[in-house]
Amino acid sequence: MIKLNNIYKYFFADTPNEVVALNNINLNIKEGDFVTVIGSNGAGKSTLLKAIAGVEMVDQGIIELAGKDVTSQPEHKRAREIGRIDQDPMASTASDMTIEENLAMAYMRGRRRGLLRAVTGGRTKRFKEVVADVGLGLENRLQVPVGTLSGGQRQALALVMATIAQPKLLLLDEHTAALDPKAAKQIMEITRKIVDTKKLTTLMITHNMEQAIKFGTRLIMMHRGEIILDINQQEKEKLTVPQLIEKFTNTSGTTFDDDRVLLAN
Amino acid sequence: MENVIINGLQQGLIYGFMALGVLLTFRILGFPDLTVEGTFPLGAAVAATAVVKGIDPTIAVLLGAASGGVAGAATGLMHTRLKVNNILAGILTASAIYTVMLRVMGRPNTPLLAYDSFFTKAMGLFGLNESQMSLFEMQVATISILFIMVLAARLLLGWFLKTDMGLTIRATGSNEKMIRALGVNTENTKLLTLVIANTLVGLSGALACQNQGFADVGMGFGVLVAAIASVIVGEMLFGGRSLSMLLTGVVLGSILYRSLLALGLRLNLPAEDFKMVTALLVLLALTLPNLKLGKANSKKKTSMLGSLTRSLGAEKQ
Ligand SMILES: Nc1ncnc2c1ncn2[C@@H]1O[C@H](COP(=O)(O)OP(=O)(O)OP(=O)(O)O)[C@@H](O)[C@H]1O
Ligand SMILES: [Mg+2]
Repeated sequence: MIKLNNIYKYFFADTPNEVVALNNINLNIKEGDFVTVIGSNGAGKSTLLKAIAGVEMVDQGIIELAGKDVTSQPEHKRAREIGRIDQDPMASTASDMTIEENLAMAYMRGRRRGLLRAVTGGRTKRFKEVVADVGLGLENRLQVPVGTLSGGQRQALALVMATIAQPKLLLLDEHTAALDPKAAKQIMEITRKIVDTKKLTTLMITHNMEQAIKFGTRLIMMHRGEIILDINQQEKEKLTVPQLIEKFTNTSGTTFDDDRVLLAN
Repeated sequence: MENVIINGLQQGLIYGFMALGVLLTFRILGFPDLTVEGTFPLGAAVAATAVVKGIDPTIAVLLGAASGGVAGAATGLMHTRLKVNNILAGILTASAIYTVMLRVMGRPNTPLLAYDSFFTKAMGLFGLNESQMSLFEMQVATISILFIMVLAARLLLGWFLKTDMGLTIRATGSNEKMIRALGVNTENTKLLTLVIANTLVGLSGALACQNQGFADVGMGFGVLVAAIASVIVGEMLFGGRSLSMLLTGVVLGSILYRSLLALGLRLNLPAEDFKMVTALLVLLALTLPNLKLGKANSKKKTSMLGSLTRSLGAEKQ
């Protein structure tokens, strides 16, 4: 579904502060894969997702989405096929607009936006159903501005929005990191449910090792712009957190330095 | 007093189109578009010249509106394609428009008293004959025509902003990154919005020239601040809770603002001070929420004028 070949991304290239955010990344994600991504701070995880989404243009390499070279496509074009959620609950929804208006915009992903009424009876009915599926009671508050929702509710809505138009790829960048533990757990369950029922090809960054092991069908670990571990489903099922940390230490030659990851256990 | 009301309504409705345009860019899209200072007299100059050339006043007014749209496109293209800063793009267009107006009119102003106006033509449509009407009847008829037009513009805009395309404009103003991530080319959205808004402003200018019987290159001076004042008055008094209230409120704000000006004139207040007073009032309205709340959490309470303040860069960091 998505193929990365020899991807490089530099920041502050050719200066003493040069950062190699992505260092020869090769990755082939098959349709239906649910890949969890883990790694230390500054490993390049977010940059990887931004490169795939077209938020950041890569300096070298080729990105293929569903067999098509999208390397030089701008973000808004790739977004027709890619749903994406950020860690910041404010980022993925428009707070001045109502829930149903937000959903209507997401519903039109990849289609021509013309002069038809965005919120119609027919659409509202459909929105009610999909929103009811996440089980937060949002279906009775469709006319409410999104700005009045809690962080968890906003991320749940963002999930619905990212997936309502059946994207070819779903990118999640620590989308539960800004939530309290209870809301985070809830959003993870909703994520799993949506990804399962819609059979979405997914790439999910998390700083929680347990989560990275528990969810998904494949786990990759990044360090200093490289993918240093790639673990398949069978292997992942037997994996424990201490084993994962040990693997990291052995492969990278350093100790795992992300406080959040260690605290998360 | 009668005159104050009539003047206020007439001017308020004419400038109401402009207030709607300014609402669209400054408030809804969050784009501080300075083109409008040039678009307003451009609409007047184009309409006046067309009338002088023998074109039907109705078509002349439409041409004035269209010229506004072209000016908006110029600013939009400069900003979105050439990546010129939004304020500068507007200033460049407004400045260039000055030359365009002089070229189009051939001189700094065009009197129209010898020609039929758009309003007398429109009255003719309703079977009214100018020569048989008293001044008062004419004024009432003009106001009625303007009222119908503003109402139509208000309803059209309200409908448009609820379509799939209209939603992208509001979302671009609310959260540009988000709507881009939903597959929308926000550059095109901005361009479209600038064209629509400046068409409204051009229409406003064209109608103003038809109403006052002349076009002048200087007639745009200060109209933007006045429009911002109308938007603020509308939003504060008539509420910005919903989109419909906002759209209606801004037209009412324009009428109220123009009525106050007319009242000021009536009371023999010095007209030369009006622009300064308006500027100070706008400044006050935009900064007062910050000053009043001081260190306390100012974010929430400024939200009413929030996005206007944001696009005007007066928000406290
Ligand atoms: N826009 C940018 N400008 C300059 N440097 C950047 C930019 N974005 C990322 N970087 C740098 O690229 C490297 C990778 O950053 P990235 O955000 O991808 O890390 P990450 O793995 O997501 O880390 P975290 O776990 O903290 O979110 C870091 O060194 C970062 O400082
Ligand atoms: Mg990150």
